[in-house]
Amino acid sequence: MDVKTLSKLTKWMETTDLEEITWKDGEGKISLKLNNQPEHHAALSSTLIPVSSPSIGIFRFSRPGKTNTLKEGASVKKDQELGAVEVGKDHKPVPAPADGFLKIISVEEGKPVEYGQPLFFIEPR
Amino acid sequence: MFKKVLIANRGEIAVRVIRTLKEMGVQSAAVYSEADRSCLHVRMADEAVCIGPAMARESYLNIAAVISAAKLTGAEAVHPGYGFLAENAGFSEACAKNGMVFIGPSPKSIRLLGHKTAARKMAVKAGIPITPGTMDCVSKNCGPEAEKIGYPIMIKAAAGGGGKGIRIVREKSQLVHELQMAQSEAGAAFGNDEVYLEKYIETPRHIEVQFVRDSHGSTAAFPERDCSIQRRHQKLLEESPSPAVNQALRKKLEEAGLSLAEAAGYVGVGTVEFLLDKDGNFYFMEVNTRLQVEHPVTEFITGADLVREQLLAAAGEKISFANGRSVAFTGHAIEHRVNAEDFTRNFAPSVGRVEEWLLPGGPGVRVDTHVYQGYSLPIYYDSMLAKLIIWGRDRDLAVARSARALDEFRVSGIKTTLDAHRLIVENENFRAGRTDTGFMERLLAPADSADRLVGVQAGRPS
Repeated sequence: MDVKTLSKLTKWMETTDLEEITWKDGEGKISLKLNNQPEHHAALSSTLIPVSSPSIGIFRFSRPGKTNTLKEGASVKKDQELGAVEVGKDHKPVPAPADGFLKIISVEEGKPVEYGQPLFFIEPR
Repeated sequence: MFKKVLIANRGEIAVRVIRTLKEMGVQSAAVYSEADRSCLHVRMADEAVCIGPAMARESYLNIAAVISAAKLTGAEAVHPGYGFLAENAGFSEACAKNGMVFIGPSPKSIRLLGHKTAARKMAVKAGIPITPGTMDCVSKNCGPEAEKIGYPIMIKAAAGGGGKGIRIVREKSQLVHELQMAQSEAGAAFGNDEVYLEKYIETPRHIEVQFVRDSHGSTAAFPERDCSIQRRHQKLLEESPSPAVNQALRKKLEEAGLSLAEAAGYVGVGTVEFLLDKDGNFYFMEVNTRLQVEHPVTEFITGADLVREQLLAAAGEKISFANGRSVAFTGHAIEHRVNAEDFTRNFAPSVGRVEEWLLPGGPGVRVDTHVYQGYSLPIYYDSMLAKLIIWGRDRDLAVARSARALDEFRVSGIKTTLDAHRLIVENENFRAGRTDTGFMERLLAPADSADRLVGVQAGRPS
């Protein structure tokens, strides 16, 4: 399931009185549970590990001079650099948190990102 | 005027700035740390971006992250609030370098007036009396300089403010230890451990003059604020005008403030702080090159909107007070700082979730706050919850109104300084306008103070 669909599903849930739904398909299972705190954010619980941005800034898949070869479905190793966030003169690396497969890429080259924003989702091996 | 302004701050001051931006039709962009996702300023702003984890050093004090947020949101100007980067010349420069207007004075003004020893030199040049002390920062071998001034002395942070990095030394033997403490506190609070020495004037009154100046040469000075009620050099209650200042003295203080602003070529709002001794002599202490926490008391008696004046000055427009140098006022205003501190445990910070939050209202009552019912206090930032500001047609009426409003103010789930304020407004000396910087120590000192606390709490059912 892609992030856009997840987002639509979450928004739809908030308009109902459902508290929890589980979605299973051939690829896996996702549970969505709304908590009752004032913020009404859906808590995503799934097997996918999100990779959050280490900083606010501009996301780059590759360092200057190198080329990017990352695609969804690619195999990644723990600590492998998936990209970097440019902030001021710094380049903050975005390492993979575990060995696995790059299930979802939810960021684009050169786009501004916030601290903590999910950039990738990894299916652990 | 700007189309969009980023507020590089949080909490009540961010809320304050957003309110004026809305009134002026300017878009607001907020920044927040991970710990501040549910902070009120995030909800009030037109847009908000997360700039870092909870620690201030990695979020609100992170210049690269704040500049990045301004670029991301397309803000043309940045309002730094107070504290954090408000008096950081490096941040002011970074804004300029990145094509944004810093809503505050130029880096040059900040360096000139924000650095305490540089400001003292300027004051001397402008013919303003200064507190006896060193004209430069001191090293650890400052014994001879301290002797020359004469004990008791104060060690003060040169890059300081907000009551941090200040130590009083009464005897030669304490100097080395207190110097180390002051330097390390200053280093931690301001990233700069430079300190200088001043004569410690026993229990003076702390009087400050708000001024505003635009790039067209118009200057205006507001009636003085009296901020003598402090605890450990942190202000707790402020009022305007000062019960100790008559019109003649007011004129002198305002003139001193304005001549300093003009000498520094200052554009924006700022405050000149003075000490007033028991004989009515005043001494220049320092300049604050930012909007201050207690600005609402000035707004209440003059009808000014100081944030608006900041925006006008920063946008190169004329301030609203171009016609007069001394702003007219009416009545009396008092501000009570309500902090999340346990008054009965030496003002230890209180944490938790705000359960009951019932604000006072009615004539002459203003509350500036970011707190709401159900809000969980983050532990990473200052303990300010709210500012309760009161206006009355004269001081007696204002004090009576303060007592009434403090009684209406109900908070549960966390401890606050409300009880301390209730004690203050009942105090005979406070009511008579007899206050100085030793007031809080005397109020809290008496042997039967525990009984008095119980008396206060028993008399006020929550």
